[in-house]
Amino acid sequence: MITGHFKTDYSADEGIWSNWPKRWGLVAALIGLAIFPFMASNYALLLAGQIGIFIVAVTGLNVLIGYTGLMSLGHGAFFAVGAYTTVAIHHEWPLTFPLITLVISTVVAAAFGVLFGLPSLRVKGLYLAVATLSANFIILFLIEQDWLAEWTGGVRGTETPNAVFFGIELVSQQAKYFFIMPVMVLMLLFAQNLFRTRFGRALIAIRDKDYSAEILGIALFSYKLKSFAISAAYCGAAGSLWAYFFPAILPEDFGLNMSITLVVCLVAGGMGRTLGPIFGTILILLVPEMLKVVAAAITGGDATSQTWVSPTRDILFGLMIIGFLIFEPMGLVNIWDRFWRFMSRWPFAK
Amino acid sequence: MGQFIQYMINGVISGSVLALIALGIVAVFKATKVVNFAHGHLILFGAYFYFTFSVVLSEAAFMPDWIRSWDPAWLQAYAGDAAMFSPKAAIASWVSDLPRILLGLIGALAANAVLALIIERLVMRPLLGQSAFAMILSTVGLIWVLEGSAGLIWTAEAEQVPALGPNFPIRFELFDQNLFLFSGSLVNLVVALLLFASLMLVLRYTRSGVAIRATAEDQSTAYAMGINVPRVFSTAWLVASTTGAVAGAILASRNGLSPAIGLFGLSVLAVVLMGGLDSFAGVLIASMLVGILSSMAQWKLGGGVAEIVPYVAVLVVILIRPHGFMGQEEIERI
Repeated sequence: MITGHFKTDYSADEGIWSNWPKRWGLVAALIGLAIFPFMASNYALLLAGQIGIFIVAVTGLNVLIGYTGLMSLGHGAFFAVGAYTTVAIHHEWPLTFPLITLVISTVVAAAFGVLFGLPSLRVKGLYLAVATLSANFIILFLIEQDWLAEWTGGVRGTETPNAVFFGIELVSQQAKYFFIMPVMVLMLLFAQNLFRTRFGRALIAIRDKDYSAEILGIALFSYKLKSFAISAAYCGAAGSLWAYFFPAILPEDFGLNMSITLVVCLVAGGMGRTLGPIFGTILILLVPEMLKVVAAAITGGDATSQTWVSPTRDILFGLMIIGFLIFEPMGLVNIWDRFWRFMSRWPFAK
Repeated sequence: MGQFIQYMINGVISGSVLALIALGIVAVFKATKVVNFAHGHLILFGAYFYFTFSVVLSEAAFMPDWIRSWDPAWLQAYAGDAAMFSPKAAIASWVSDLPRILLGLIGALAANAVLALIIERLVMRPLLGQSAFAMILSTVGLIWVLEGSAGLIWTAEAEQVPALGPNFPIRFELFDQNLFLFSGSLVNLVVALLLFASLMLVLRYTRSGVAIRATAEDQSTAYAMGINVPRVFSTAWLVASTTGAVAGAILASRNGLSPAIGLFGLSVLAVVLMGGLDSFAGVLIASMLVGILSSMAQWKLGGGVAEIVPYVAVLVVILIRPHGFMGQEEIERI
């Protein structure tokens, strides 16, 4: 039972892992992540890889929406920029070291983030949502152009390279898993750390009230742009991993549906918390799988069930956004918090 | 020059349809301060309802024959032996389609109205007073609910539906240039502009119009003055869904019925922001501008570019004028 946080110096107060459940929770999660690939089937690993990539992207979106309070409906575009940069680099120099590609893709996506974050100087809220939505359509349109088709494959999409580490090609799901997960863990740690720095606190101040933050001496425009850059960089890294993970990519993979899925994951998980994207992504990406199981159970594996699985998934996603907004606006993290609060005070109070 | 005028005319015609769609978004925003991202999918439902009533239902076994194809003696006499594609033949075939067109329109209007009332009551009302963020996201959620439901109910294939008006090419000369347009698009233009104008008149001169404007000005004061604000909300959604149904019917008869109509509605959101969210006049100007620009882009740069014209235009406009051409500037208190 935790009765309080007793701190005797400032460094303890600033610590990320301020209490033992957090510390041991992290250790347990890391051990779980490390053993998982040796016990799971290929299909489970495919899902896990996808979830890992999405967690990176949603964490990036969390920096922007959850911590800075800027709305975006266009982050699928930055995902696309990351993925296509990776493909283009391997097209020019096939043997580039994957981590270098990852970093370059991240930087390029961040540059695009700055470019399309420019409207955030003058508009916010709804207007910014539409501006980013426009950015999404424009970037995908550029990717589909013929004069870029040599690198992007145009409308028909393109095959993507496998990552090669020191002569070892990552082909199996298991190998790819060990590429994705360390990146994911590092980026999560970075995000968790970011928000106890001066920079992170400035972003939170902007979220709470931007004009007040400006009066306190926070340069709004530069911080908003940096926030855009960081969140786009996360999506770029996710895109790069995506390109290594899947055998081929299509421009339409990164359209409005992708952008909205990212937002759904964030809303379902809980905004402004590191754990939020993790919970949300796992829940949202597992919904279609559960639906498939249910469909198979009802129809007995009938192939015709496929025709209604995809629309039903869309409806469920939509209902989940609305449901979470009406009944649990703080997301799954809030349920998680309530549970632990209950546990730590049991049997005295609720 | 001839081509320029030709594309100008095409632009004005597609601009009028944009204006009709934008009307619904502005009406809902003015009354409820909610920007409806799902308006395009409301239109999609309108289009599918129009298809259901005018094509599927009219061919059902229990329907009398004259609904499927009305063929009175005087019509046969009128059509006589008119040549194919002549105005006379087109008008004759339109008149014989008229019963099912009317059935489709009435059905689509009614069904869409019911749909909008359900959405307003179940989704928007519980979120009353929440942040703009929650409101935007819940309409984004609606996009998926509506798209998925449409996919479940109707198979997502491009289907043909009867046009609202007789469709024959009109050729004429203007400034010594040979131009032509389809009478069907002319009818669409007239319908869209008439609806737009009549709604403006309703807002200006009727009791419920004044109630809507009062609510737009200040919700709590409107409440205090005895205006039934929730009913104003329902009215606004009704206006949006019924004009949306007409827009859906127009779009479906022009480009064929497909889920892409929903995405087209999203591009109209960009148009609305360009014009200014709460200004009918600004939105009308923006619609015409985007219609003409798209049509010019199609002429000079190809169809692909035309699709992203609204998005590029809105980015440029809100960078220069964050509240659109004629939108009211928001004043924030700290």
